[in-house]
Order: sequence, then structure tokens, then C-alpha cells
Amino acid sequence: MILSQQMVLGVMIGGLYGLAAVGLSLIFGVLKVLNVAHGELIMLGGYGAYWLFVLLGLDPFASLLLVLPLSLLLGLGLYWALFGFVVRADEETRIKNSLLIGFGLSLALHALAVRLWTADERGITTPYAGKVLIVGQLAIPLVRLASLAVAFVLIAALHLLLTRWRWGRAVRATAEDWQAALLAGIDVRRAYLLAFGLGAGLAGAAGTLVSVGYSISPSIGLEWTLKALIVVVLAGLGSVFGTFVGGLFLGVAEAASAAAFGGPYREVVGLVIIFAVLVARPRGLFGAR
Amino acid sequence: MHAERRWAALILLALAGLALVPLAVRRDDTLNLIFLILLSVTLAQSWNIIAGYAGQVNLGHAAFFGLGALVTRTLWIGGTPVLVAMLAGAFVAMVFALAIGVAAFRLRGAYFAIGTLALGEILRITTGNIFSEISTLPAATIAAYRLTLRYYLGLGLAALAVVVGATLATSRLGLGITAIREDEDAAEASGVNALGLKLTALAAATVLAALAGGLFAYYHISYYPQHPFSPHWTFDALLITNIGGVGTLHGPVLGAVFYVLLKEYLANRWVDLHLLIFGVFFIVIVLLLPGGLVEAGERVRRLLRSRLRR
Amino acid sequence: MLLEILGLDAAYGDVPALSGVALSVEPGEIVALLGPNGAGKTTLLNSVAGLLPPRAGIIRWEGEDLGRLPSHLIVERGLALVPEGRRLFNSMTVEENLTLGAFAERARRGQQANLQRVYTLFPILRERRRQIVRQLSGGQQQMVSVGRALMSSPRLLMLDEPSLGLAPLMVQAILDVLVEINRGGVAVLLVEQNVRAALTLARRAYILETGRIVGEGGGAELLQDPHVRRAYLGPLAAPEYFVL
Repeated sequence: MILSQQMVLGVMIGGLYGLAAVGLSLIFGVLKVLNVAHGELIMLGGYGAYWLFVLLGLDPFASLLLVLPLSLLLGLGLYWALFGFVVRADEETRIKNSLLIGFGLSLALHALAVRLWTADERGITTPYAGKVLIVGQLAIPLVRLASLAVAFVLIAALHLLLTRWRWGRAVRATAEDWQAALLAGIDVRRAYLLAFGLGAGLAGAAGTLVSVGYSISPSIGLEWTLKALIVVVLAGLGSVFGTFVGGLFLGVAEAASAAAFGGPYREVVGLVIIFAVLVARPRGLFGAR
Repeated sequence: MHAERRWAALILLALAGLALVPLAVRRDDTLNLIFLILLSVTLAQSWNIIAGYAGQVNLGHAAFFGLGALVTRTLWIGGTPVLVAMLAGAFVAMVFALAIGVAAFRLRGAYFAIGTLALGEILRITTGNIFSEISTLPAATIAAYRLTLRYYLGLGLAALAVVVGATLATSRLGLGITAIREDEDAAEASGVNALGLKLTALAAATVLAALAGGLFAYYHISYYPQHPFSPHWTFDALLITNIGGVGTLHGPVLGAVFYVLLKEYLANRWVDLHLLIFGVFFIVIVLLLPGGLVEAGERVRRLLRSRLRR
Repeated sequence: MLLEILGLDAAYGDVPALSGVALSVEPGEIVALLGPNGAGKTTLLNSVAGLLPPRAGIIRWEGEDLGRLPSHLIVERGLALVPEGRRLFNSMTVEENLTLGAFAERARRGQQANLQRVYTLFPILRERRRQIVRQLSGGQQQMVSVGRALMSSPRLLMLDEPSLGLAPLMVQAILDVLVEINRGGVAVLLVEQNVRAALTLARRAYILETGRIVGEGGGAELLQDPHVRRAYLGPLAAPEYFVL
């Protein structure tokens, strides 16, 4: 496969990395909580879309309209039952407890998925799955291109929510300084709830897009959590579009390294990059906290 | 302080008792089960040193386990006596950890977790790429395989882990580490060399984990070289230590016994669900009983004492 | 009585910060809270604003016991705090910061009117309303902080060291605005290092030392009090005072 072809494929999956990361970044930035079960939420979103397709014949891009709100509700539930308790402590204890809880959650969700749906890989094959857009020497799979577009639209929508909506601004204010937010009259607990729900909703949406353009299995959780973490470290917190670009960058970097060093090292490059970044700048590339 | 010493003595006594088991019991599956518990105790204690004493959640612990396994296996199959191979594995892992540690310990909290997780995965994937073939013992070695040897080695290692843990907890070193865990900046301000102590704790933890890895390599007949690097080993250590009681000496031991036995039991009845149950159980512990089984035990003891007083 | 505090005890963990504090503010008053560094002035304001739950004592607002009400609900009742160090939302613009101050239900209807009033009080903010607050000077940031609190239509405005780090001219401007705000019916509880300025403004003042109220009186009479003069206005006192 020629390099430019690989790069194009890298950009397209990079968009999904960006979407996955934005959800995690929102939760981390606002609640100061690291939900390492984020990948499992993506996985669940993927299965949601898959079963809606298999059982009801619902086109995955249409089922986004169902999966997104359902994932959002799941996020609200998880906050209410679990992470809501974690935010009562100071930042350091918060991080530690959220890591542990997220870890337990990922274990439980992974095991549940294996139990319910077996460990087999699945994917959604729509009638238009094989269609390809030919541009010069490049063959661009239409489904993946559409996924990239949808990811971008969702992120733009989030940006609008965070800048134009009163509660979206409240969420951003809470992320910056929760005490000042309280003093401005913002119910910070509600802001947390909203941020967690939005983050989970975006994860579910990402999962849907993964299931249609790529494949899902119960084990993709850890993989996608790592991808999201890599992008968050690279892009820092605070800019939704910046995170999206970070995702694209990771996708392209992986494609380049696969071309240069061969397929098996694709996964390593992102990890090496963030380890290097963290060593050089322990607060992340753009982190100011 | 003295509680740690008492517990250490108790546990060592129990281990001494276990030493007599192979003389009485001939069944392999019992020995295998106890061996698994011993291995888990060592691995959990090693994670506990970093997490419980130094207060950091290390998600890349499997890297040390894996390095120990890799070096031991390679040397041992090549003809080196197994104990030498294990020590070599421990040495390599320790050097690696110290080299990375200086950088890694600049990270705090979430970034430390992410960084160590990334590191563990880098090693796993790279090992899987370089050593993609399954590693099997030569026929002659398989023929000469004696479980009791592995068993006693496991006992010795678990005893070592307990001694190291107790020493760290009760020494001046241990006090310094506790101070760091409570409030690193304050400790630094009162003259504690935080980095030095953290690196010492890291070295101890790494050596134990690597020795456990070496034992794994000595025990298993065949496995994929990347398997010991799998995050599952980190997660096991994390689960066991937190369920048992992080930061205590006997917590990881209690946790290991509880975890391995329960897993055995559940695996027979509900094959896939044991992880689901542990995951939920773990969440409950983090939220309601952060001190794990140790804390539960304390509460029960206090309850009984207040009842008896009436 | 607008605000009534009785027997307030507060602590950070095991460290006591306030002990048996009693304080009151009448509607439309300007009251000053003075004292050396570490006396607990910030702790007191934070306790009233709901950021620090009290260990003992009563904080009564318009007759209602605030108890352990969370801060955002206290703002909802008309009590606003301008915290120490401004605490702005640094990545947002002046106008975004100000409108966030009107987040409480009580402030939503009057948001536009309040915004115009803030811009009238601080004309330079109208000029810079689309600028990111990080780029503003210390004095302008303080204006945004005061403005943000005003946006919640408070009946009592508490300020924690508004003059800290500001040039004298800036400090004068802020204090003039406080008088203006007060003339509009808003009571003011002012914590200030700048003792002379605070006492000239305030009708009454309290003196807090190591967590206890050690003095209380009219602004003018405290200015003449020998202990106050020696401790806070004498040659050994902090050199932030100036002649108004």
C-alpha cells in the first residue's frame, strides 16, 4: 500500500481517536477524574449499534440518535452511582480513587460483555460497506469517510454546547476553578454530572463509528482507553478542536510508523511518544495545571 | 510498627507450616493452588510497596514481572542455573526501573498512572514483536520437572517478600516513605530525600516482581513471551492488594488467599463471571471499605470488643 | 439585621481557625473586617460564603440559618463573595466572566441591566469586554471580579482584600466604586489590609486576631484608637496605607 493511502486511512481513524479522547478529556478536565473504563464505554456503544443493526436492521449512522442519548444516560448513572462519590475528596485522592474505580468498572464491564456476547470480534456490514471513493491513486472507503465527518460534526456540536449554552459555559468554568464557579452561583455537582454524561455520550458515539468502519470485541476497551489517553496527553486539556487534531495526529503517526517499521510497531509509536512527552513535560504537552 | 513485626512473624510461621504440606499431600493440584497463592503474594507485596507505601498507583507493574520472566527464561533454557538466571532477571529489571524511575517519578497522580501504563504496554508489544514464538521447555527439562522444587522456591520468595515488606515498613526508610505518601512536599521540606526513598522502594519492589517473574518462567512449561508483560498481572496485583488492604503488610497476603481461592471456586461454577464479581466487589471496596479485608477485620474486632465490654 | 454571625468556630482539619466569632451587618451598611495576616479573615468570609462548613455557631442571613448550605445556594439568597486573588475564569472573556456571575436564578432576569450597570461602574471593562481576562492588568481583573459578584444582584457584597497587589490609583478606583455600589443599597463587608482606607469607608469595623474578634467600633473612632493606631497604622505596620 502506498504511503499516501496509509496516511489517509490514518487520518480517518485519527478522527475516531479524537472523538474518543474528547469525551475522556471533558471528564478529566472538569471532574479531575480519570475514567480508565472510558474504552469500555466505547465498546458498549459499539455493541449497542451492532445489536440495533442485527436485531432491528437500524443503519448504524441512524442508530447514533439512539446510542448517543443512551450512552449519556449510562454516564449519568455511572456518575450518580460511582464517580459522584469520588469527587468529594481532594484532587489527589480523587485521581487515585477514580483510577481504582474505573479499573474495577472496566474489569466488570469487560467480563459482562464476554459473558453476554462472547469474545468474538464483530463488525457491522451495511449494504454500502464496500463503496469506495477514488481520488487519484487513493481509494477512500466511504463508510470511514462518513465516520470521520460524523466525528467532526459531533465535536463541533460539543464546542457549540460549551460556548453558547449557559450550562456548557458553567461546565467550562467549573473545569477552571470550581470554587469560583460555586461563588458565581453554579451548582458544581450538576456541572460534573453534565460533563460526565456528555463524555460518556461521546464515547458511545465513538463506539458506534468503530463498529461500522472497523470491528469491535469485548477486549477493545483497554486499547481505546490507551488511544484516548495518548491523545489527551498530547493535546492537553481545554481545547475540543485541539484534541480532535491530536487524534488525527496520532492516526497519521501510527500510519507513518507502520510504513516505516512495519505493522506490529504501529501500536508502540503512540505509547513511546507520550512516554517521551511525559518525561520531558510531566504536565503534558500543553498542560498548565 | 510492632503490628507489622507481629504480622510478619505470623505469616512466616504460616509459610513454615506450608513447607510441610508436600510431605503430607501428594496431590499436584493442591500444590499448584498454593503455589499460585505464593506467587500472588509476592507480586502483590511488590506492587504494595510502590502503591501502599509510596502512594502512587503504578499501572505498568507487569513490566518488571515480564522482564524478570524474559531474562530468566532465556538464560535458564540456555543452560544457566535457575537461581542465577532469576537473580540476573531481577538485576536487569532493577536497572531498567531505576533508569526509568528517575523520569517517571517526576510525574504525579494521573500522569504517573498513564506513563507507567504506557511503559508496560511498550514492553509487552515490543517483546511480542521480537519474541513472537511460543516458548517451550526442551523435552529433557520437562521430564526432569519437579513441582516440589518450584513450590519451595515459591515459599522462599513469598517469605522474602514479607521480610522486605516488614523491613521497609518498620525502618527509618519506611517512615520516610510514609511521610512522602502523606504529603510529599512537606516531607521534602523537612529534609526527606523524596526521590532517593522512592527509588529505593522502587528497587525493592522491582526486584521482588522480577523474581516472581523468574519463578513464573521456571514454573510454566510453555507460554508466549509477551504473556508475563500483560496488564492482567498488574491488575491482579492491584486487585489483590486493594481487596486485602493496601499499605499494610498482611493485606496483600489476605487478599492473595482470598482472591486465588475465590477465583478457583468461581471458575468451577461460573466460568467467565469471576472477573465481573471481582470488579464489582473491588468497586464496593474502594467506595465503602478502602482498607480492604484488613479494615473489615479491624471493624469486626472493634465491634466484638465493644460488645464484650457491655 | 442582614447578616448575623454568632459563636462561629471554624477549622481546617485539626487546626482551629476561628473561635467564637460574632459579627453583624445591617442592610445598606459598609462594615470592615481588619486584622493581621493569618488572623482568619479569609476563613470567616469563606465560611459565610459556604466554602468552609462551620464547626459550631450560627450564620444567619435575613433571619434564615444558612447551616451547611452549599455556596451556589447562598449566592441564590443574595450573598456574594469577591474572593481573594480574583479567581477569574482565565480562558474566558470579560463578558463571559461577567455573565457567568449572573448564573443564579435570582440574577437571570436582570442580567442585561446588571451588565450595563457593571459597565457603567467600570467603563474600561466595556471597552475590553471581548478580551480574554488573562490579558488584563491586575486592577482590571479585580474590576471583573467585583463586577462578576455584582451580577448576582447581591444584597450583601463581601470582598476579600480587593486592593492586594494593586497600584494606589487602582485601589482608589475600586474603593470609589464600593461607595457607589453601597449608595445603590448593597451592603458591603470588606476585608482589607489597607486599614486607613477601609476605616474611612466603613461605618463600623471589627478587628480579628488569631481567630477571635478583639475589637469592634465605629470607623472613625477606631481610627483614633491607640491600639489600632499602633498595631495597624503605626510605623511598624504594613506600609500599604496612604493618605486619602
